[in-house]
Amino acid sequence: MTEKKRRWAMVIDLRKCVGCNACTVSCKIENNVPEGVYRTWVKEIEKGDYPQVTRFRLPRLCNHCDNAPCLAACPVQATYRTEDGAILIDYDHCIGCKYCMAACPYDARFINPVRKTAEKCTFCYHRVEEGLLPACVTTCVGGARVFGNINDPESLVAKLVANNPVQVLKPEMNTQPYVFYIGADQNIMGARYDNLEKGE
Amino acid sequence: MVSNVTYLANVVHPVQLGILISIYFFYTGLSAGSFVLSSLGTVFGIQKYKPIAKAGVIMAVALLAIAPLHLIGDLEQPQRFYTLFFRLNPRSAISYGTFLLTLYPLNSLIYGWFLFRRDFATGAQELTGLRRRLYKFLSFGKTDLSAAALAKDAKIAKFLGTLGVPLALLVHGYTGFILADIQARALWHTGLMPLIFLMSAMVSGTGLLILVLMFSQRFLSPERAITPERKSLLLDIAQLMLWFIVVDATLMIIDFIMLYFANTAGHAAAQLFLYGSHRTMFLGVEAGLGLLLPFIITLLPKTKKSLGWIGFASVLTLIGVIAMRINFVIGGQQLPLSGDTLNPYTADPKHLMMIGIFALLEISILYLTFRFLPVYGLPQEKVQTKLQHPAVFRQ
Ligand code: SF4
Ligand code: SF4
Repeated sequence: MTEKKRRWAMVIDLRKCVGCNACTVSCKIENNVPEGVYRTWVKEIEKGDYPQVTRFRLPRLCNHCDNAPCLAACPVQATYRTEDGAILIDYDHCIGCKYCMAACPYDARFINPVRKTAEKCTFCYHRVEEGLLPACVTTCVGGARVFGNINDPESLVAKLVANNPVQVLKPEMNTQPYVFYIGADQNIMGARYDNLEKGE
Repeated sequence: MVSNVTYLANVVHPVQLGILISIYFFYTGLSAGSFVLSSLGTVFGIQKYKPIAKAGVIMAVALLAIAPLHLIGDLEQPQRFYTLFFRLNPRSAISYGTFLLTLYPLNSLIYGWFLFRRDFATGAQELTGLRRRLYKFLSFGKTDLSAAALAKDAKIAKFLGTLGVPLALLVHGYTGFILADIQARALWHTGLMPLIFLMSAMVSGTGLLILVLMFSQRFLSPERAITPERKSLLLDIAQLMLWFIVVDATLMIIDFIMLYFANTAGHAAAQLFLYGSHRTMFLGVEAGLGLLLPFIITLLPKTKKSLGWIGFASVLTLIGVIAMRINFVIGGQQLPLSGDTLNPYTADPKHLMMIGIFALLEISILYLTFRFLPVYGLPQEKVQTKLQHPAVFRQ
């Protein structure tokens, strides 16, 4: 059997996430992300009424989708895919049309207010190329974030995905995300509209 | 659905494609609409619309010359815009749009020239002063006024016009498609979107044409008057507008019925527009002022015969279609993708300033072209005889 191509993926085991935002901070420092915008962040909700109440968290980042709408949308091919599946942006060619930001179903992209181009999580590609892990993964205190080659059956990501019930965000969008969650609550995975319907 | 969920932390994702893009859609719509109206006489051979062919094509070109400036102004890296022409992505709607937005005005320009050539050539011979020199230059030396040459002009104009109609439809259909293509946004992702954009383009294109005709015939035409024939044509165009409004409103109603019974996001979009915070802009301005009121004005026997009322209805359609562009472009992105509140939008003052400057530019171009080009034929005293048979395009 020929070896399958390397495909980077991330598994986020929410049973281990404590919502400390260490990943958010380390990403900002590692990637020099300006104030007010985030490549990764942690959503947090509270569900239920006292005393039956729980908090849920969901670290968010770009899903490096296999069928990425942002890639299709970019008119100048500034958004591209690497051999190992990561979706990156060529900052020297992005014209800042923001069409990718309208197209991404996950709010993963933003305009870098300093560089004036689209930007998002790169899976810390500059680190990964050097054999290091993404900054958020190394810093995650609970060990909730796991990164690796999902096509290598021996990797931890492959094992976690094989042995756990996993979820991806908005599978109905047919984007085929490569960020997998273990133990995600449905109420935090997408948008909620009940506030809007109350007329806010 | 569990209802007792409270969001404690999330990141705000402001709306990205804002007012400049909405106004860009407005301009292309106006352009496509005026082109189609211009073609009614030349391409579809409906005699009574021949007098507006030239006015229509001037508007189509003048509007589409300014429209893309809004797009470039919205780029974060405007100086890189030219890369759109060679760094293509066959999967991106914008890549196709780049070429449509180039070909369509060029085609319209050449088409327009063939409509005007006879007047340029005649004017170059029979007028004096500035206009003589201008027309001489614009005729590019093609001053043959023989019947054969004129018939050839008409034939070429018909061919280019025939090409122009699908181009105009594509240009504006594609702007709707840019939105429809985005699966992530529930309000946009429907096959009706290009059709809705086309129909509202026709409504607003007719509205603006009526206003421009009224103003230019009264103040800039050789006769300086809205003659009885012109009045009856204007009233006739208003009746066309009535039908465009009917089709546009029908599509809109179908769209909202479908959204209402669609998935969660689609339903939320319909709720937002029908009951939520966008209700006034949608039901009040876009549908009420922009469609219903002009519909009534162009329907009632008394008001539909009055130029004043028709002019008023035309202004309303323009307001309504601007509201429609804003509602769909910005409103469509306000619906959250990952949060629980509407994504905020604040118009960048720089963008508002650009819109103002572009609008002034547009008005000046329209004024100058209608003032100096022979849209309504040549000044009478000089070429009395020629005006007797303005029937060149009546093959
Ligand atoms: S999450 Fe969004 S930005 Fe990331 S690959 Fe998917 S569509 Fe593109
Ligand atoms: S903003 Fe940049 S990356 Fe996004 S679609 Fe436009 S050119 Fe491509």
